[in-house]
Amino acid sequence: MASVKLTKVKKIYDKNVVAVHDFDLEIKDKEFVVFVGPSGCGKSTTLRMIAGLEEISDGTIEIDGEVVNDLQPKDRNIAMVFQNYALYPHMTVYENIAFSLRLQKVPEDEIYARVTRAAEILGITDYLMRKPRALSGGQRQRVAIGRAMVRDSKVFLMDEPLSNLDAKLRNQMRAEIILLRQKLDTTFVYVTHDQTEAMTLGDRIVIMKDGYIQQVGTPTEVFEMPKNLFVAGFIGAPQMNFIETELMLENGTYYVKPFGVKLPVSGEKGAALKEKQAKTGHITLGVRPEHITLTQAGANAIPCTLEVNEMMGSELHLHVYTEDGTRLVVRVPTISLDAETRKGLVAGAKVYITFEGKVMHFFDPESTENLLN
Amino acid sequence: MREKKTVKRHLGLRATNAISNSVIHVLLVIISIIWLIPFVCIVLQSFRLELSGPVGYVIPKQWGFDNYAALLRTDFKQWYINTFIIALVNAALQTVIVLCMSYTLSRFRFKMRGALMRLMMILGLFPGMLTMIILYRVLKDLGLTEANAVPGLILVYVASSGMGYYVSKGFFDTIPKSLDEAARVDGATRMQVLFKIILPLAKPIVIYTILTAFMAPWGDYVFARYISFENPVGMNVAVGMYKWLTLDQINSNYTMFCAGGVIVAIPVTILFLCLQRYYVEGVTGGAVKG
Amino acid sequence: MKQYSDLEYLQLSKWKKFCYRILCFFRSIPTALKNFVFGIGRFFKNAALAVVREFKDIFFTFKDGDVHTKISYAVMGWGNLARGQILRGLLFLLFEAVFIFYMVVSGGYWLSMLPSLGKVGPGKIYDPIYDVYVYQYNDNSFKILLYGVLTIFFIIAFIYTWRLNVKQNKIAEDIIKSGKPLKSGRDDLRSLVDDKFHKTLLALPLTGILIFTVLPIVFMILVAFTNYDGSHDGFINGLFGWQGFENFRTLFSWKGANGHSYAATFGEILTWTLIWAVFATFTNYFLGMFVAMMINKKGVRVKKLWRTILVMTIAIPQFISLLYVSKMFAKNGIVNGVLLDLGWIKQAIDFWGSTANNGLLARVLVIVINIWIGIPYLMLIATGILMNIPADLYESAKIDGASGWKQYTKITLPYMLFITGPYLLTQFTSNMNNFNVIFLLTGGAPTNASASWASGNVGYTDLLITWLFKITTGEDAKYYLASVVGIMVFVVVALITLIVYNRLPSVKNEEDFQ
Repeated sequence: MASVKLTKVKKIYDKNVVAVHDFDLEIKDKEFVVFVGPSGCGKSTTLRMIAGLEEISDGTIEIDGEVVNDLQPKDRNIAMVFQNYALYPHMTVYENIAFSLRLQKVPEDEIYARVTRAAEILGITDYLMRKPRALSGGQRQRVAIGRAMVRDSKVFLMDEPLSNLDAKLRNQMRAEIILLRQKLDTTFVYVTHDQTEAMTLGDRIVIMKDGYIQQVGTPTEVFEMPKNLFVAGFIGAPQMNFIETELMLENGTYYVKPFGVKLPVSGEKGAALKEKQAKTGHITLGVRPEHITLTQAGANAIPCTLEVNEMMGSELHLHVYTEDGTRLVVRVPTISLDAETRKGLVAGAKVYITFEGKVMHFFDPESTENLLN
Repeated sequence: MREKKTVKRHLGLRATNAISNSVIHVLLVIISIIWLIPFVCIVLQSFRLELSGPVGYVIPKQWGFDNYAALLRTDFKQWYINTFIIALVNAALQTVIVLCMSYTLSRFRFKMRGALMRLMMILGLFPGMLTMIILYRVLKDLGLTEANAVPGLILVYVASSGMGYYVSKGFFDTIPKSLDEAARVDGATRMQVLFKIILPLAKPIVIYTILTAFMAPWGDYVFARYISFENPVGMNVAVGMYKWLTLDQINSNYTMFCAGGVIVAIPVTILFLCLQRYYVEGVTGGAVKG
Repeated sequence: MKQYSDLEYLQLSKWKKFCYRILCFFRSIPTALKNFVFGIGRFFKNAALAVVREFKDIFFTFKDGDVHTKISYAVMGWGNLARGQILRGLLFLLFEAVFIFYMVVSGGYWLSMLPSLGKVGPGKIYDPIYDVYVYQYNDNSFKILLYGVLTIFFIIAFIYTWRLNVKQNKIAEDIIKSGKPLKSGRDDLRSLVDDKFHKTLLALPLTGILIFTVLPIVFMILVAFTNYDGSHDGFINGLFGWQGFENFRTLFSWKGANGHSYAATFGEILTWTLIWAVFATFTNYFLGMFVAMMINKKGVRVKKLWRTILVMTIAIPQFISLLYVSKMFAKNGIVNGVLLDLGWIKQAIDFWGSTANNGLLARVLVIVINIWIGIPYLMLIATGILMNIPADLYESAKIDGASGWKQYTKITLPYMLFITGPYLLTQFTSNMNNFNVIFLLTGGAPTNASASWASGNVGYTDLLITWLFKITTGEDAKYYLASVVGIMVFVVVALITLIVYNRLPSVKNEEDFQ
């Protein structure tokens, strides 16, 4: 139950490898913040600096207004869940969960009360006397969470807690973490490389790459207004399509011309471009697969050839290439197509696609920044 | 036709396997015999009464325990006690030192760590024999030689034992670091991490270290000879019994040497066989980690 | 030499590939040496820069520091005491007091005598009262050298502590300036079991190593530059003094006194030492692996029994087994006795005494007996590794049509060599220094008549290490020569380690078999 404030935090490993550059972030009390990014982006390092497991090369970290740079992990009053669970193999589940309380010299009967309560919440009461190696992956994960839960810690840190679980269990545990959060009502910092986890769990998402923060925002913000090409590509699956094209201004209306087809930028995006007085010329145009629609041959239709048709059940992922060889992905709800059309969607088939102005994202190809920033 | 062929081939495979397996069994029996012969000979000759020097046959003509009884009339008891004390104290102290060293080098990243490990590797390349001369004179100045050789030897063994940290460091490296980190986040100091988390998990390597530290003094000859300096009160078994096989004594003391050898070997061997599992774990783990 | 690209290399014939790789190896040696020398150069340059930086820092700390800091330059710990860090301050002060006391009482004397290693030797003094000559012992070269080195160690420690004292003063001053509280003595103590726990853990082991390993080694290196021997023992028989590189010249001169050449003897022993190390290492390695593979083969029964029989032999102290085996092969030993009984030989074979072919018989025998000693260890190690080879490697090899022998040469052996590379290297170097086996088995015999003039009655099975031991025993114990030989052993071992270690596949590409 505390705020966390990072000011110009830096991590430099020996031989001058900089893992984290000037990290600035204020995490509010009871907020759930997710650090997300590809491996090696510095997200785990930042989390470990908050925990006190890595030294801070420069800058300050405050927990609840107190600078904790020089405090040992044990003096920071934090709880942490590790990627590989890090359960103590020689202790039973009960002892594992009670370990931190025993170190604090909490009376045994209170330890008993707190451990059993946590076990009840997590549904592991039956396993309390077992050793970790007799547990399944999901159960171990619960014990790890239980161990962090029993302490009244100020901040709850989680380092890729779900990445060692199989897909089905991961979805289940994700839902449980959301429930847990409602019960615990404390500050969470959560690290993951999986953008779905980030989107579903976080109040705010911090997207990182190569030690730099790319964007901080709510899931909606980062999805609808990605600050740059990296964020646009990282958030959302399948990945956003990028098309090199021209931005033109004719009679007060902006146009783009992907693959020789002139599409007007209508609606709010057009208005925003006007307001920014965006420069015409070469741009990278981004369109999410789900925003591309199949259409008939016509003025606004881009002709493509179907290469692969992935049937995902509720939706189809169509991998197509245009006449100049650019590959695009189109995501269509299965239900929107009749059986006849679906049958025709085989490799080599001709399809026509189009998209509207309001779903377009415009990036400067040099700086990779969003033109509407 | 075709079916018959496959069956035949199948039988052939099984037959070659059986042949090679029986060849291997024969080889293993021969190997076992070769490895055991010297020890069988020692035991048999320790019971030989008719001649006390080396002879050209194995089975004694007269049997008896006289050689063992004769041991009691020599300084053997003193040597045995000396060696036992050295082994015991050495096992305790050396284990503490080695564990301190290897745990630190495995878990802490401090400024001088790399330099320290390199330095110890370089020191290890010097022939240890060289340092004997000076150690002898230093110990002599401290009054820890000759009759007082036991504490002197313990000091020498224990003091430099930190250099042999490789094997147990290799073991500690295999214990995930996240356990330390989890414990530290849970509120443990580094010392509590060592005692509450790491040591309970390091039981095999602790036993391995104790075992090797206990066994080493039984076989040490050179240092022990230097430091006891011909004084029977300060000798260990190796130094004391070595004299029985020198040219002027071998003809009268050879069978007694065998009896002494049996007495020395039995407890160490029993202990070793009981703890074999841990020894194997240490040796294999250590070599794999380099 | 022509350099091949990857694709060109693949087209070469097997034989050409082999030659090319050998050429590459030799071609890389000059670069490796160059890098090594440059590395040393860079090290010294960085060290010099660091020293300059330190001096600058010391100067500016003094210039900008407050009065407490300035006093601390003379009275260590003053600043800590003045700022309330009583524990640290007292420790610094105590250290300084001990240092000054030691230097005044004895350290100064040892240091001043170090350049000469003693001025007045032992002598006789006429005692007019009893009308006898009384022996009088004066300076002690040995102690001067020993305590001189110790004093230098102490001075280095003092300089380091003094520097630490200055640094801590600056840190404390800065903290006070920024308005934060200083760490108290209790905090210091607490950190010794927490974030500074490694210092607590290392204190004892490193002190032991410093006094019982580093100090003796430094001492013995210095002895190589003196004439310390039985008749110049530094106290009773006479002082010893500095000789410069004289002893190295003796060892490396082809023409010594009476036409004897140390260089030739050294070369002879070194050659045998290397031959021994190669055979001892590789026979054990391959035979041990062979035994392990036999025991591990599917269908072999009572695996545990075979293993236990071999492992048991490790437990028996080597001095018993080696001495006993040595006597078994004596002229009147069991082996000869049995062979005579069986009528296979007419007269006893002198295994340890025959000097034919440079003592070939004894040399072969020690290698064979060493196999007997070494196989159990190697069997254990190989078993551990063999069980870790992923079974799917063999399965895919079988599907690809590899025979048993091919599986061995293409999977088992490369895997073993990859994993045990560093172990093989340490085995090699420790075999070079394998005192026990040689000393207890043969004691160096049979005697090498052509080298018997050299200190210590050199024999054909003597390794450098046993020769070194022999030099230091006996009447004329030439400690200085032993030191020189010891240094040469170090140089040889270090060179081999340096060249091989960086080429080990497991060091070079760690991921290959992971």
